[in-house]
Amino acid sequence: MSNDKRSGRSELAKREERTAYRLLLPALIILLVIAVYPLGQVFYTSFTNRQFASGQETEFIGFDNYQRLLSVTISQLPPVIDEDTNQPVIDEETGKTVYERPISVLPREPVRYREYKQFSFMGNRYVLGATDVDFIDAITNTLIFTVTSVFLELALGLGVALVVNSNFKGKGVTRTAMLIPWAVITVVSARMWEWMLAPNRTGLFNTMLYTLGLADGRVAFLASGQLQLWAMVAVDVWKTTPFMALLLLAGLQTIPDELYEAAAIDGAGPVKQFFSITFPLLKPAMAVALIFRTLDALRVFDVFQVLLGQSQYSMATYNYFQLIGNRNMGLASAIGVVIFIIIFGFAIAYIKMLGVDMDETA
Amino acid sequence: MKPPKHFSHLLLKAGFYLILMIIFIYLLFPFYWAINSSLKSEAQLQMAPATLVPRDPSTGDFAPTLRNYRVIFENQQFVRGLINSSIVATSTTLLALVAGSFAAFALGKLRFRGKKPTLYMILAMTMFPQVTVLAGLYAVITTLKLPTITSMILSYMIFTLPFTTWVLTAFFKGLPLALLESAQVDGATPFQTFYKIMLPLTAPALVTTGLLAFIAAWNEYLFALTFTSINPGARTVPVAIAYFTGAVARQEPFGEIMAAAVVVTVPIVVLVLIFQKRIVAGLTAGAVKG
Repeated sequence: MSNDKRSGRSELAKREERTAYRLLLPALIILLVIAVYPLGQVFYTSFTNRQFASGQETEFIGFDNYQRLLSVTISQLPPVIDEDTNQPVIDEETGKTVYERPISVLPREPVRYREYKQFSFMGNRYVLGATDVDFIDAITNTLIFTVTSVFLELALGLGVALVVNSNFKGKGVTRTAMLIPWAVITVVSARMWEWMLAPNRTGLFNTMLYTLGLADGRVAFLASGQLQLWAMVAVDVWKTTPFMALLLLAGLQTIPDELYEAAAIDGAGPVKQFFSITFPLLKPAMAVALIFRTLDALRVFDVFQVLLGQSQYSMATYNYFQLIGNRNMGLASAIGVVIFIIIFGFAIAYIKMLGVDMDETA
Repeated sequence: MKPPKHFSHLLLKAGFYLILMIIFIYLLFPFYWAINSSLKSEAQLQMAPATLVPRDPSTGDFAPTLRNYRVIFENQQFVRGLINSSIVATSTTLLALVAGSFAAFALGKLRFRGKKPTLYMILAMTMFPQVTVLAGLYAVITTLKLPTITSMILSYMIFTLPFTTWVLTAFFKGLPLALLESAQVDGATPFQTFYKIMLPLTAPALVTTGLLAFIAAWNEYLFALTFTSINPGARTVPVAIAYFTGAVARQEPFGEIMAAAVVVTVPIVVLVLIFQKRIVAGLTAGAVKG
């Protein structure tokens, strides 16, 4: 087979290639019909100022949408100088230097920058400004959400898969029960959690914390900025751990028992067996599960939309807000493209990191 | 120094069942809470502290009500939605599995030029948020003048087909090449190899991806909401639930929503019960005998 390239392509190789193209045809046709136009349109619209559901004329505006979304700048904040003493003003209560207001140093042209964060570095005070603070927030929220929830899902999913993969009475029931969270309709499960996380003792969690004497029964899980994101993570981990577990379980099933038997004869303990057999052989299944889970987490919409509305955005709910709330379709498309690029980056990172490049078969 | 064997064995077993119990409680308790809420009346739902089972507000006796279930089954939209959802999710799953397994076999086991770009292109289809592609997709659907149900099935391919293709590609790749070559030596065409050898061996993977794709299609909300806006008769279950209105204006019928959540989960539980044996069908044992 390795001579193919030198001796020209053999008849067999050509036949194989033709079969491959024929097998790919149905999938490619379907995707061509439904995806190419919508996706192409997203890219195109992102360079225009198109309004959603309006007769207003659309103009081509180049990278303006992207600039509006992603521009960030750092400016130094000069301390406020007392006009009489020529010394920096010190706040009497806190004993700290008073600085100029960020709004006075951040650029206003061509687009106005707003304060995102202030920080001190080498004795100077700086302000980080962004043209679209909400979107920068949405990106950080989504990234934190994605990294924590996917990591927890992988850990829990692997645990569940390993347990369910072993032989015990009632594993059929367990395997079925295991999938239930994933089966509950997302929009409804979001409402379910909203009810359980209610800010008074009609909710399960407040009742529980109150009964255990840990809180006053009035914890506002969904209203306090600190807890919001973690509540989202909790909801998502509960809901999608089964997805991870099932894909990993299917992966575990393809590992031949003989390998474990041989390893046991060689005196390898369970831990060694896990790292020398299970983990390496599970990698392809794990990579695919991780890719699709991460992809979904980065696009998270339902939970954020139902539970947080406009109090904190994920990238996708901000996208929705710009499209439906502000009817700014051009900007919304640009957000879509930014999300696409971030997701693509993650996918490639996974494929490289887990060493499961799909092209290495030949 | 080791404790006697049967003792450590017992300890291991106890630990195992303890972990199993924790998993069970973690995964099932929120769903139990939905069942519990679905059996409560509006007044019982407002009780603080919340009760583990429906209780009468004044006497504290166990007092479940089936009112919520009665209401949702009298709702034509909901019943119609169950039928629509079954059609849409089943067709989506079958189409995604057939097209996906063809493509995955080519991508996982055959040599051809342009494999990597194809894989990435297929994955890229599913990397946009649903909201973003909605407008363009709607334009395609109206241009093609497709019936609402068909348009939902087709548009669901955007998130199910890349998924089935990728998962199955990974599984096809994992199958031993020797089997394939021996079939070729025996004179089997690639199509025969695919049907007679690869497909049965990948049954667990097919069932797994099929179940996950089915659930994704069954749960989809945003596309369904948009495409059925002009044809309420085609509404799927998630959309029908979203249109639930309470007895009192602007009041949300939470008990009914929970009852619907329970009812809608039942078909999936049945599906999983039917197919769960196949998930774990002895793939490797088959391969050795194969």
